[in-house]
Amino acid sequence: MKNITRRDFIKTGASAGLLLSTAGAGVGLNAATVNMPELVITKNSSPADLVRKAVEELGGMTRFVKKGQTVLLKPNIGWDRNPEQAANTNPDAVAEVVKMCLAAGAKRVRVIDRTCNQAERCYKNSGIEEAAKNAGAEVRHIVESRFQEVPIPEGKLLKSWPLYRDVLDFDVFINMPIAKVHGISQYTLGFKNMMGIMGGNRGNIHKEINTNLVDINTVVKPALTIIDAWRILVRNGPTGGNLADVEEKKIMIAATDRVAADAYAVTLFGAKPADIPYLYDASQRGMGKLDLTTVKIKEIDLAG
Amino acid sequence: MKLLRRISQLLFLLFFILLFLQTRYPLETGIPVDLFFHTSPLISLTTMIASRSVLVTALPGLIFLLLAIPLGRFFCGWICPLGTTIDINDRLLGQKKRRRKERDSVVFRSVKFFILVVIVVAALLSLQLTWFFDPIVILTRVVTLVIYPAFVFLVNSVFDFAFTTGAMEEQVYSAYNFLQKTVMPVGRPEFLSSIPVVLFFAAILLPGLISKRFWCRNLCPLGALLGLFSRYRLIKRYVSSSCTKCGKCQSGCKMNAIEDDYTINNTVECIECADCVSVCKPHAVSYKFGKNRGSNDIDFSRRRLLQAGFTGLASVALLKTASGEDTKSAAVIRPPGAVDEKNFLDRCVRCQECVRVCSTTGGCLQPAVFEAGWEGIWSPISVPAMGYCEFNCILCSKVCPTGAIVELALEEKQKFKMGTAHFDKTRCIPWYSQEDCLVCEEHCPVPDKAIKFDLHDARGLDGTMRTVKFPWVNEELCIGCGICENKCPLVGKKGIFVTSSNNTRITAK
Repeated sequence: MKNITRRDFIKTGASAGLLLSTAGAGVGLNAATVNMPELVITKNSSPADLVRKAVEELGGMTRFVKKGQTVLLKPNIGWDRNPEQAANTNPDAVAEVVKMCLAAGAKRVRVIDRTCNQAERCYKNSGIEEAAKNAGAEVRHIVESRFQEVPIPEGKLLKSWPLYRDVLDFDVFINMPIAKVHGISQYTLGFKNMMGIMGGNRGNIHKEINTNLVDINTVVKPALTIIDAWRILVRNGPTGGNLADVEEKKIMIAATDRVAADAYAVTLFGAKPADIPYLYDASQRGMGKLDLTTVKIKEIDLAG
Repeated sequence: MKLLRRISQLLFLLFFILLFLQTRYPLETGIPVDLFFHTSPLISLTTMIASRSVLVTALPGLIFLLLAIPLGRFFCGWICPLGTTIDINDRLLGQKKRRRKERDSVVFRSVKFFILVVIVVAALLSLQLTWFFDPIVILTRVVTLVIYPAFVFLVNSVFDFAFTTGAMEEQVYSAYNFLQKTVMPVGRPEFLSSIPVVLFFAAILLPGLISKRFWCRNLCPLGALLGLFSRYRLIKRYVSSSCTKCGKCQSGCKMNAIEDDYTINNTVECIECADCVSVCKPHAVSYKFGKNRGSNDIDFSRRRLLQAGFTGLASVALLKTASGEDTKSAAVIRPPGAVDEKNFLDRCVRCQECVRVCSTTGGCLQPAVFEAGWEGIWSPISVPAMGYCEFNCILCSKVCPTGAIVELALEEKQKFKMGTAHFDKTRCIPWYSQEDCLVCEEHCPVPDKAIKFDLHDARGLDGTMRTVKFPWVNEELCIGCGICENKCPLVGKKGIFVTSSNNTRITAK
């Protein structure tokens, strides 16, 4: 398994079966991990403590990151907003994940996002650039010429799309969105966060966005999905700006099952996972579990 | 002295470039990046005259004017970055090697006074023309709109190629990352009307084939103004009795300021470059305080003065009437904090500082071509198809040297209406083809969203019924930032567009 890199794999346009079997190996479907939870929810502490505890309970970062591997961490840095406005992933949580990756022996951790507002503003005002750098990550701006057309063999509507080359080159991909409402996809979570590695005219995929989101997610599978729900944006997303639209939930979600991660997150907004079209579609395509009662969940309250 | 002068020129040119590079987001170094504009008395005077107001920011320019009384046109010879650029240009065009037998003609040097009078008369009648002729403005404009974008394009071409080959990618990426933090922007600036700007600049440099400092000798109105004030300067060129009348000083003089007996130079024209000091083999030439014979002729007759005054009058009449309707055009979307249009045009010197700083963030500001009328050429307008106004940004108002854009508090700016967005229902995806889109709503930065949407059942182009989110603009909330138009996924004509309608303006004080 070792000699098939993510890049080769996407390049050859691997089939779903192969994708899932490799991914399975990546997260270790073996005796040691068979009893581990698929989804961990931590509550009521600082963002850094919560995210650390959540990953530990999921089996620790060494489950996902092996010594000498390269890690691409994709938070949401899309907007020129400060952390309190809950439009971008919490910077302390991002920094903590960087530290955990490095502690697990990662050779390098790179943090990127293709932003919606001007990149320098987003990187700076989100607090992520400084926090991640101080934690030891490489924080890089997107360079347009580093997108590469990637075939989407399982795509229903999208047959190929330019993706950022780092996604193909790095050993481990960690998806780290913040939980927000969104006008057109209803919620922006793990699946929607993948838009930050997409090149081209992303606006175009907003037609039939639900199918398109699932399509793009079929080619890039994160080893780990962490959803920042420390503060969530409940109205006027994904940009927000008004503190009255922010709810402090003090929750972090870590999961190996990306459908289950998003499914749990929508319940924080009072929605039912099965009502969210893209999640239903993804579960129908075998990408993860939509029914939370079938997911091995561990919930930890750090307050008590 | 010549060496000192060269060092001074080089340092000021480097300082000019440094300030230019610093004119970028986040603009936190504390250096006033528009410093050079404050050194130009021409900008100070004409802006104050045209806008009938005392502008505190423009006062330092007057100090330079007063300094010319004792010290002469040192600004031209020692400081002016355009002057230095022209010196370098002239050298490259081979002026150093040219051997002259006779003195260059002096007939054209009165033109600069003519231009100065035209500008001042126009300013008195409230028409700003300085922007066409001020050397600091000319250089900043060409650097912003032409030279820097070309530099960025070339560097990016090299890196794009390197990224495409994929060779040494880590090193290449690190190098690129470093450049972006220093001299390269994160975005890729592109500007309207850069071709006329570069042609104008070429017209200034190319006469270097005819003579040294052709622009400064004959055309520059700032030089003319400083020359008028340095007529009775205290620092003068002094020639001792060891002068052999070899004439090398005269043929080498950049400004053609040395008269025919070589001991007399024109105090209006001399820029104290000291080339005559170093070229003099018997060391007969020096600059000293005190009395010496000097010519202070200004080649300008009363008749010429009247002609120039009339030309100024005519240009006012022409430009004011030519631009009557255009200033109300929908495309005249001014930066947030812009003063009312009349005062805006009087104050704006088209230096492109706002355009430059904007290009490092939202990138909506562009030099107008004819959108704002003839009078508004190269004045900044927002072109949302090319960029948008960043919600958290007030940098354009911070770099404006003349107060055409008034600095607002961020909270005020976020409510400041540059214009209003409108849907084009014959283009917009939900309205035209009954499919969901809402990219505009997604990006709308107004906390309560100025783009709202309603759900309605509609029949799609394929005949099926579906529920579609139809967007509309809340005109009260919309600030006209243009991100909706900019991010609209439609190629070509967008489904939503911003006009200047219902815009707010600051009343000029």
